Amino acid sequence: MRRLIARYAKECSTHLEVITVWDDEMEKEELPHDKPHIKTISHSHPAAIWFERKMHDDFGIVVEGAFDNRPLVAHERFLAKLHPMRKSFTKTSVEYADYRPYKYETVRGDGVFEVAVGPIHAGIIEPGHFHFSQAGEDILHQEVRHFYKYRAIEKMVEGKTLAQAKPIIERISGNETIAYQIALRDIMLQAANTELPESNRKYHAMLLELERTIHHLTDLGFIPNDAGFGAALSVASRFSEDARRQMHSLTGHRFGFGAIDFSSHQIDPGAMNGYIDTLEESLDFFEKWIVDIPSLWDRFDTTGILDSKKAIQYDTVGVVARASGVEIDRREERFYKEHGFEMAIQHGCDVAARFKIRLKEAKNSAKMMRNFLTKECETVKIEEIEDGEYFAYSESSIGELFMNIEIRDGVIERFFARDPSFINWQALHLMMPDNIIADFPLINKSCDLSYAGNDL
Amino acid sequence: MIRFWNRRLKSSILTENPELDEKIQTIRKNIKSEVKKKFAGSLAIRMVDSGSCNACEAECNALSNPYYDLERLGIYFVASPRHADIMLLSGLMTFNMAPHVLDAYRQIPNPKWVVILGDCPMMQAPFEKTFAIETTAKSEIPIAHHIPGCPPSPKEIIEGLLEFLQKI
Repeated sequence: MRRLIARYAKECSTHLEVITVWDDEMEKEELPHDKPHIKTISHSHPAAIWFERKMHDDFGIVVEGAFDNRPLVAHERFLAKLHPMRKSFTKTSVEYADYRPYKYETVRGDGVFEVAVGPIHAGIIEPGHFHFSQAGEDILHQEVRHFYKYRAIEKMVEGKTLAQAKPIIERISGNETIAYQIALRDIMLQAANTELPESNRKYHAMLLELERTIHHLTDLGFIPNDAGFGAALSVASRFSEDARRQMHSLTGHRFGFGAIDFSSHQIDPGAMNGYIDTLEESLDFFEKWIVDIPSLWDRFDTTGILDSKKAIQYDTVGVVARASGVEIDRREERFYKEHGFEMAIQHGCDVAARFKIRLKEAKNSAKMMRNFLTKECETVKIEEIEDGEYFAYSESSIGELFMNIEIRDGVIERFFARDPSFINWQALHLMMPDNIIADFPLINKSCDLSYAGNDL
Repeated sequence: MIRFWNRRLKSSILTENPELDEKIQTIRKNIKSEVKKKFAGSLAIRMVDSGSCNACEAECNALSNPYYDLERLGIYFVASPRHADIMLLSGLMTFNMAPHVLDAYRQIPNPKWVVILGDCPMMQAPFEKTFAIETTAKSEIPIAHHIPGCPPSPKEIIEGLLEFLQKI
């Protein structure tokens, strides 16, 4: 089956265009400006549901045959039929409109009750809403509702040059900033028709692996913490702080904002090698310790199962897909393989599998960082940016990131980014049935998806 | 578990990190006494994200790692606004989140303060105003203190909280 990567619309001067990106090809459909209609593909690819709902909110495109026509981005207080991504919409502020109730997907029946969680959660996390239908402790159904953080970044960067848009794009999702910057870098290189020297590529790839290490180490602490094993959080949060400090000493920023550029850098291989030694030793200790705690694996095993058939049907990517036995990783290419990339695959499909994937990938990242280590990288000159439509992919710590930028007259005409979370959030509810509500935080954390990247 | 305790007994107390110098030590002393004086021993913080990139949240989570260990200063992150003394607000004030932020603010018992975290709530981050972003947090709720940075590091957050405590 083909894998759906993204489906989105853009406005051209004479018509609207709907672009559907598959793993093997790209389809374009032209629609008239007034009364645009398309046919849904959500029956065969459920991941298209959010894409199509967003398309309707953004452009007013009517999706025929869709079984879910509720607004997605436009919440209760948004004015109906605003369609802000249309070029004719230029307002920078809108009034709160009358409250339009949102009809949640619920299961009805004797004794079935609903539990609403969020948008503001109990911990230090991003806002989002989870709506459960419960029979006692057992989850019958869950609906994920997001876009509380919707900042309209797609619209914000329109009319800017790539250089002007860079500080905004690198702040779309703090945890994935290097991945976003690398996707943007690739688009800049394509537009400037320039090749990146090997040393720069290696340096950037090393930073991406360091970002992945930070993210995975954080999760390796938080997942056991959500199963009531706080000691793991204390240990792993120390490792992730070490990794973050390493990022700071390399890039001058703890998250690496502004780290991917075209200027020259000097790297101290001794210090970096020393750090990687400590990291490998820490991971080795952590693994031997954590596999030996049976009560923890009691909680992990068979919790939050997403079988591989469903994982493929819902076009999932990243850690979630790989833990369900689906081999998808943008790093599976010559450059990465030459530097020691190994695909991490698990067939358990549960929280335990996702935990093991993170552990395996963190170890693989340490190995790759060593191979990517270079002493210095060169200055690259970016000259003329050519108009055109450019596409880029990168593998963030969550999964495959897709970015499309169309440049016209030297400025961004349309920016579109599909965070891996956008796809994976839609598969989260599949992991819920047969689990109790107390396991939801554990399952959610094992996927560790981004809210900011999803909402844009 | 034996492996864990073996390692634990060998490693010293992490929190005394060379990076955290004398200054932090005095700040810590100050924080302890300020917290004790004004909040009867503990300051309860309700963290609310109204549209950040998640970096500010990550730094707040880092506050509880062994290097910073904020809780031993008597400062806690609590799960409900009804348990809180102050609201720590991060991120752009988005159109979709603003009503919920105000709702959470109303739930905090008096006396209450709002401390904003990072450049976003003041619209000082690279983000520009769009229709989906309400104005600065300042025009929505009274702000007692601002901790700037994109994102502020855990150390800067601790320092910022002290400044706030000295201010009120």
